[in-house]
Amino acid sequence: MRLSPLTIKKIRRFKSIKRGYWSLIIFALMVTLSLGAELLVNRRALIVHYQGRYYFPVYGRMLPGKTFGLDYNYETNYRKLAKVFASRHAGDWVLMPVVPYGPYENDLKPNRYPPFAPSFADRHFLGTDTIGRDVLARLVYGFRIAVFFSLALLAANFLIGVSIGSAMGFWGGKFDLFFQRIIEIWSNVPFLYVIIIISSIVVPNFFMLVVIMALFGWISITWTIRTMAYKEKAREYVLAARAMGASDLRIIFRHIIPNTVAIIVTFAPFAVSSGIISLTSLDYLGFGLPPPTPSWGELLQQGWANLDAWWIVASVIVAMVITLLTVTFIGEAVREAYDPRMHTTYE
Amino acid sequence: MHRFSKPGQLLPAMLAALLLVTGAAYGAPHLPSGLKWLSNDTDPLYAAPEAVKGGSLHLALLSFPLTFRVVGPDSNGSFRGAILGNQLSLIGIHPNTEHIVPELATHWAFGSDKKTMYFKLNPKARWSDGRPVTAGDFAYTLEFMRSKKIIAPWYNDYYSREIERVIVYDDRTLAVVSTKAQPDLYLKLNLTPTPRHFYGRLGDDFVRRYNWKIVPNTGPYRITRFSKGRSIVFARKKNWWGRNLRYFKHRFNVDRVIFRVIRDLNIQWEYFKKGKLDVFGLTMPKYWHEKSKTRVFEKGYVQRIWFFNDTQQPAMGMWLNQDHAIFADRNVRYAFAHGMNVGKVIRQVLHNDYYRLENGYVGYGAYSNRRIRARRFNLQKVAFYMHKAGWHRGPDGIWAKNGRRFSVVVTYGFAGHTPRLVVLKEEAKKAGIELRLEKLDMSAAFKKILEKKHDVAWMGWSTSLRPQFWEHFHSANAHKPQTNNITNTDDAQMDRLIDAYRNSLEAKERIVLSKKIQDRIHAIGAFVPTFMVPYVRQAFWRWWRLPTPPGTRHTDDLFAPFDSATGGLFWFDAARYRETARARKKHTSFAPATIIDKTYRREVPAP
Repeated sequence: MRLSPLTIKKIRRFKSIKRGYWSLIIFALMVTLSLGAELLVNRRALIVHYQGRYYFPVYGRMLPGKTFGLDYNYETNYRKLAKVFASRHAGDWVLMPVVPYGPYENDLKPNRYPPFAPSFADRHFLGTDTIGRDVLARLVYGFRIAVFFSLALLAANFLIGVSIGSAMGFWGGKFDLFFQRIIEIWSNVPFLYVIIIISSIVVPNFFMLVVIMALFGWISITWTIRTMAYKEKAREYVLAARAMGASDLRIIFRHIIPNTVAIIVTFAPFAVSSGIISLTSLDYLGFGLPPPTPSWGELLQQGWANLDAWWIVASVIVAMVITLLTVTFIGEAVREAYDPRMHTTYE
Repeated sequence: MHRFSKPGQLLPAMLAALLLVTGAAYGAPHLPSGLKWLSNDTDPLYAAPEAVKGGSLHLALLSFPLTFRVVGPDSNGSFRGAILGNQLSLIGIHPNTEHIVPELATHWAFGSDKKTMYFKLNPKARWSDGRPVTAGDFAYTLEFMRSKKIIAPWYNDYYSREIERVIVYDDRTLAVVSTKAQPDLYLKLNLTPTPRHFYGRLGDDFVRRYNWKIVPNTGPYRITRFSKGRSIVFARKKNWWGRNLRYFKHRFNVDRVIFRVIRDLNIQWEYFKKGKLDVFGLTMPKYWHEKSKTRVFEKGYVQRIWFFNDTQQPAMGMWLNQDHAIFADRNVRYAFAHGMNVGKVIRQVLHNDYYRLENGYVGYGAYSNRRIRARRFNLQKVAFYMHKAGWHRGPDGIWAKNGRRFSVVVTYGFAGHTPRLVVLKEEAKKAGIELRLEKLDMSAAFKKILEKKHDVAWMGWSTSLRPQFWEHFHSANAHKPQTNNITNTDDAQMDRLIDAYRNSLEAKERIVLSKKIQDRIHAIGAFVPTFMVPYVRQAFWRWWRLPTPPGTRHTDDLFAPFDSATGGLFWFDAARYRETARARKKHTSFAPATIIDKTYRREVPAP
């Protein structure tokens, strides 16, 4: 695919805005790392060397303790296994990930009660929450869920919003009027309450929550795209396409939408950050994904309830600030790069 | 339908009225001869003889009551207890021996038909407006409770269906008749009087008219002042008629009880630490272990008490739905019970503060079967029962059979229980059982459970004086929605036992049956008992004094000011109050005090 000179110019412009460019790199890195979170943060070992054989337990089936000569049938506790091997001096060894805890695992200690403060000795780098789960592990897995949740939400919102918005703008007339009224009515439904009511009756899973939130999330982009479509419709190229006998659908999808892509792209990063915020706030209120799903909102809630365990609230707030800041910087840079008026002094 | 049932309900009342009228015309109804009048002035006392009168107790309410009525719309709030605590009934139950003790009646007798009880009223008994309490006031209770004007259908129904009539022999003598012969008759026939002279004929405006009326009562305190939305003051009656009764002596000592509305528990805690509230509940581990590590405790101004009682414990636990295929097999139910590491939750989440509930009927005295032990976490036993049921471990470590995994949904309604369930879930994985947690809104969870759509219900049932089995375990309530048999227990042997228990009028036989039923429940294994809290923990300013032992077997609040059985045992020590005030001013301190009272504690095995 060859990029048009205009696109190349935009990319160059984007790269020249250092804050946004580096934010994009950091954010992309975070997402990539979170995809491989199992290799970094996991209760399962990366590699086990036992009696001359190598085992790679991270992905794949559960290996019971008996596999490694332990006396139980449930999943091997690899941290303990490492200690057992070390004490035997038989040449067996275990390689654990950097954070050797899973997001669901309770690391409880006799006669001490969680939350436990950060400790490098225990490799709880950010401490544990009130049930003894590693805060870092829950942050990482919670990040992955939040980011993919908001990307999925973004895709659903834009799909509905862009199609309806451009149809309204392009066809205008009664179709437009009708959908305007629908949107007005729909946007008066108190969205948060509806979600709270729904999720107190059924426990929503990931996709249900995306669908429920998309039901209310498509409205704002629809308005914008409608306006754009109205404007573009009157342009000569649309007239030309029509004169050549192009169908309405072809005009909308081939001509109008590509010309409104600037709007769509500039809105996207902000939609991602608002998606993360809404999932976090729903979880905070206890109406988001069901426990014990790792979630930032739940950590935040625990943090406020246990302010003396400062590491919980501090970790999650720092993580949120970094994520939202990078996403916002990306958004600003994209908006800047797509800005047709190039005489700004934004650098 | 409604209209047709009306005459049936009114009939007993009309008959009673007819009896009264004919009684007046042809001479009063006669007491049957050969009645054996009983009383009780020999049971042990539990109040402190050194207690003195005086002082004010400051307590907090989370919200102002919606009405002072105790029947009708909005009357079923928590403040109702404070009002009813000052309404004595005919007889009381001794909180340590569970024998009958006198309240408004001095003597009682059982009729030979096993349906009737006879009472002689205490001639000294007075309403708070000075009028004597008469037998007619008990007849009026029936009239009142059956009236449609009070808008209380449950009471209308209960007093029509369960109590047949009240017979008035003279002002001081009456009989209460049950509609059917029953065990523990005295629990049902123990009426509370209603002042006829105060209510008179009930009108259609009953609900509105009596919203904020202070009804004459017979107990030690009455409301003297209130400010809507803010506070309610109860004052001790000077020369209360019951002050010298054997079981009321040296009790109900404070002059005033002041309830103040403070709408948030954390703010109440701050008020308490400032000395503006006298008592604060510390039963929650967080308050007892962490929050009470603060200045007023360390300086000894405030003391803590951990008081073990021996009262009925709610049946808290996991209720397995036997109508779902997975739990139809008894071996799977046993394996499930052995896969729940309740002990670890108690030790490592609940600060070792909770106790293992061994069966659903703990604390019912002789009716409890103490031999039963809840199934402990035991991986060998899980494997044994699962193999017996023909299951094997799947590739993910979870038991599987014919393509089905041992994965069940646990439905619960209180977010505060999530930490416990999360630990159970992780431990259950070791046993090859997957728990999926489903936290619903409280009422949505209860609805789902009552509709029997759950796999596992995480909940507790409240208690009553005697064990109730029919509601929870009889097949009459299985396989249909909106009944309390949430395990869908349908077992012929169980039905026979429960029917026998319900039909028996002999306490001894009922005790034997009750224990057998509990054995059967354990054998069926559809209920996995979890926790009990057989104690109360409170913090109080050091000028409050308690008897030795500080409470009774059934005490659930050491500073309950009113309850006729367990309330009002504490008193105000003015010298200590002054001493503490001086110390607070000069910043001197006393030795911090934590009282742990195990008088009524039962030995419990390890969780």
